[in-house]
Amino acid sequence: MAHPSQLGFQDAASPIMEELLHFHDHALMIVFLISTLVLYIIVAMVTTKLTNKFILDSQEIEIIWTLLPAIILILIALPSLRILYLMDEINDPHLTIKAMGHQWYWSYEYTDYEDLGFDSYMIPTQDLTPGQFRLLETDHRMVIPVESPIRVLVSAEDVLHSWAVPSLGVKMDAVPGRLNQTAFITSRPGVFYGQCSEICGANHSFMPIVVEAVPLEYFENWSFLMLQDA
Amino acid sequence: MSGEEEDSQIKEFKLLGILDVQKTPCARDAILHGAGGSVAAGVLHFLATSRVKRSFDVGFAGFFLTTLGSWFYCRMRNAKLRVQQRLIQEGIKNKVVYEGTVLDPTKKPKPEAPSSPS
Repeated sequence: MAHPSQLGFQDAASPIMEELLHFHDHALMIVFLISTLVLYIIVAMVTTKLTNKFILDSQEIEIIWTLLPAIILILIALPSLRILYLMDEINDPHLTIKAMGHQWYWSYEYTDYEDLGFDSYMIPTQDLTPGQFRLLETDHRMVIPVESPIRVLVSAEDVLHSWAVPSLGVKMDAVPGRLNQTAFITSRPGVFYGQCSEICGANHSFMPIVVEAVPLEYFENWSFLMLQDA
Repeated sequence: MSGEEEDSQIKEFKLLGILDVQKTPCARDAILHGAGGSVAAGVLHFLATSRVKRSFDVGFAGFFLTTLGSWFYCRMRNAKLRVQQRLIQEGIKNKVVYEGTVLDPTKKPKPEAPSSPS
């Protein structure tokens, strides 16, 4: 989860998010170098004593400041497109879960084998137990098996919502009447938090998402218990 | 938890307020190599030409190119290591799954026993 006054990304919990982190570092280094170049040029221009009021053109610098940005853009675009197409791959998911957005909670349906469905409401601040996170915890978590490809079908029952989990590198709009698909693999077990990412009314900030990745046998036990309670 | 936050605050060092050289892989080495390249290029140019301003320009160009080169080389190396790491992880996982079966890659084929004359 995010910690207070955090500026950077959360630690990656999926291979796609790892790739996004690496791409971000790559783009940031390029931005840093361009910034130092501009800073240096500004200092040089402010401190120079050389002036020429009659310069009309210069082929060399025109070529440099045309080619250099083109090269830089290609260096940024190639890894970016690679990740874009990587994110679109859906490689034989082991499990499909439907995440439906409502005002103001999420509901999850696991219908591959049995009919398992439940709602996921935020735990109010006054009901939190020590150690739980304010505005992030839910009464029922979306439990998934770790290191298994998961497909999530996202939609909404009323207004626009968005299902987002930053540490998994996943964000998908929940549009009423439309089924959007996303997929991910969790690299490690853990609990991953997200929040609704599309304005949806008064309690838009109070419908969080909690994904819990557990080993397969724990997932099987959990689904058995959930079916019994249903 | 607060100790870890204090550690991360102490170690964080952002150049121009954006590039955290402590936490970003390869950033620290790239900047240090760039600084070294910059000083070397600038000093060499000055010794050869005695032109101060132009030597500063050459020094900056040296910083730019050395940082970029070191950065890309280090990132390429890290990317190859990451791919190897994933292959090794897959291999270890498959070894556990296939151990003892026909598909076990470490299983040596048993030599055929000669048939005894009846």
